[in-house]
Amino acid sequence: MPLEPFKTSQALSLGVELELQLVSLSDFDLAAASPDMLELLARKPFPGSVTPEVTESMIEIATGIHTGYETLLAQLIEMRDALVRAGDRLNLGICGGGTHPFQLWSERRIFKRPRFREVSMLYGYLTKQFTIFGQHVHVGCTSGDEALFLLHALNRYVPHFIALSASSPFVQGNDTLFESARLNSVFAFPLSGRAPFLLRWEDFEHQYFSKMEHTGVVRSMKDFYWDIRPKPEYGTIELRVCDTPLSVEHAAALACYFQSICKYLLEHNEPDPAEDDYLVYNYNRFQACRFGLDGTVVHPKSYEQIPLREDILTTLRRVQPQADFLRCDAALECIRQTVEKGSDAGYLRREYQERGSVEGMVDSALQFFRGGKPSCPVF
Amino acid sequence: MIDLTLVLADIRWPIAILIAWFFGEIWHMWTRLPRICAYALAGFVLAPSQSGFLPQFQSATMLLLANIAFGLILFECGYRINLRWMRANPWMIATSLAEAIFTFAAVYYLIRWFALPVSTALLLAALSMATSPAALIRVVNEQNSSGQVTERVLHLSALNCVLAVFVYKIVVGLVVFRTSGSLWEASYSSLFDLAASVMLGVAFGFAIPGLLRYSKRTSQDSTLAFTVSVICVVALAHSLKLSPVLAALTFGLFARHRRIVMSSSQRGFGALGDLLSVLLFVFIAATLEWKQVLAGIGLGLGIIAVRQIAKIAGNLLFARIGGISWRKGFLTGLASTPFSAFVILVMEQTRYLGISLVDQFAPLAAVALTLEIFAPVLIQRALIWAHEVPESREYEHAP
Repeated sequence: MPLEPFKTSQALSLGVELELQLVSLSDFDLAAASPDMLELLARKPFPGSVTPEVTESMIEIATGIHTGYETLLAQLIEMRDALVRAGDRLNLGICGGGTHPFQLWSERRIFKRPRFREVSMLYGYLTKQFTIFGQHVHVGCTSGDEALFLLHALNRYVPHFIALSASSPFVQGNDTLFESARLNSVFAFPLSGRAPFLLRWEDFEHQYFSKMEHTGVVRSMKDFYWDIRPKPEYGTIELRVCDTPLSVEHAAALACYFQSICKYLLEHNEPDPAEDDYLVYNYNRFQACRFGLDGTVVHPKSYEQIPLREDILTTLRRVQPQADFLRCDAALECIRQTVEKGSDAGYLRREYQERGSVEGMVDSALQFFRGGKPSCPVF
Repeated sequence: MIDLTLVLADIRWPIAILIAWFFGEIWHMWTRLPRICAYALAGFVLAPSQSGFLPQFQSATMLLLANIAFGLILFECGYRINLRWMRANPWMIATSLAEAIFTFAAVYYLIRWFALPVSTALLLAALSMATSPAALIRVVNEQNSSGQVTERVLHLSALNCVLAVFVYKIVVGLVVFRTSGSLWEASYSSLFDLAASVMLGVAFGFAIPGLLRYSKRTSQDSTLAFTVSVICVVALAHSLKLSPVLAALTFGLFARHRRIVMSSSQRGFGALGDLLSVLLFVFIAATLEWKQVLAGIGLGLGIIAVRQIAKIAGNLLFARIGGISWRKGFLTGLASTPFSAFVILVMEQTRYLGISLVDQFAPLAAVALTLEIFAPVLIQRALIWAHEVPESREYEHAP
């Protein structure tokens, strides 16, 4: 199937997808409950879209297209409340977090859908290991060229989003010492990582995609698990490195921080991206996954070592005019608070200490998702 | 010189358990049906009144062991119950009451229709309300199932066991003894028993997690602590003539709400749980007599049928409004069949009062045997039809 043409979208329009955990309130383990949940949700109109994910303990929600923080957040809150209400009736808890801290991958079940089964046959245990929960942010682009420019210009900001969203410190019952252990599961896939350095859509289509398709390795853009990937059918680029945060407020703030940076980059406030920018890419990414906001990144142009926390605060100052224009001031404030107070991963570790068990940690995450993040303003 | 007959008498139970276990494995390999069906079959065949392999005289030790086995299962059942769900979804309570009341009424009127005494009808109707958690937990663990049918049938089982014990005690006080003829006095003494049983469970439910926290034991070790405590609770309830069922159930419930959690590898109390469940299901079936079963088969099957219909009706009534499909409501009712371990053990505990329906009322033996063998199969089918068992197992069962 040849690559479809890049659909034009309104520049900087926003959409958010969140993969959420379905947890049994009886034992706080993941529950294979998406069929029951979807059956119940289908009875009433849902304020957004809700779909199954590859294993039955996951559910994905997606917003419509938004231009700003206020409406995006409003829809996310509405969707959250609908999910929480439905979950209450089924003894199910819904929460964020990039990983479930103690689920055993071998107990997961593949949702009954041909594509999921196919993927499962191909990747074996990787598919079940892939019971991880991410936030995807779509930003609208007016053309394929603009999408590819933005995709590569964003390379140095990818660690920001990893560190700010990090919420997966535990895997299979143990502390990994990573802030975002989730991304380690993504690396295992052969087509993960970064997109090839091509800046024109035509080149991407003919020099890369059709060749890859010819090799038989891929059939559609869905087969790529890149950190940022173009989505021609929506006319967007999709940021995929974020863990699902513990609250929808934080998710909305991340999306708008991303939007502000995109606007900043589209205004060519920085030197154009170059292939060599990617020399430090994997190292920076590791720093963000392992140490989160305490990591140190290397600037791709100057090779200067910068504490990630400082880099984010500097960026927040730089994109302030763009944020003012997009009216997402409040979102940036929420990000600033996160930088100061620490990520969701830190919160989860503290809860583990305090409550003495991984189950207690899941319970905290459930309450957090339900109650929202107080430091982020609600309209 | 070793006295062979003595040795043989001593090792009959261990040998019976070995036979049952082995038969269970073969059975499961060939038929893919739950192992506990095979344990029941083995127990029934080896029983004193059938092949006579097991000793005629029922030792108190075996009864206590069976009670401990059931206690561990009840603890686990209580441990899985989330009481807050009842508040969040009151239709669960409505469903529980509906299925219990329907079952009570259906069984009562059926027995009365056969012109049997009111006391028998009331006692049996009370006990029929319960869904025995023993078969349920074993099959759920064996199938590794998860979903609404699993969740609901476990919660309903805990609720209707409490209800059944409660009503049964009142009936015993009120009808069987006619001590004072006053409903109040009968309820009062029953309530006292029940409250004391609950208090026993609550006390352990608070004390043991506290001790664990104090000794800073990791969750890995909590299984042992809970096992030992369940044994104590059951033995204590047994000797105080309280209800071990209620005590173990509340113990589990409170331990859970203090939130120290067993890791999932210890579900079913591991190898110890497996061992005791072989013993439990063999023991239960071994109490039944072939002659009784045969004599009561007609009415027995009738009771099974009306009970099943009542349970399905009760579950269907509030299924949709309670948040699940009609289909899953039906399957929850279908999975609510098991009965035997609960009824036999509750009976054994009141044997000292001179109430032993199992001996006196043939249809009960028929019900107990039939359900001990077939209920696990029905639970398994319900879970498979509800798509709540892992897919690889569904394929195993595909014809």
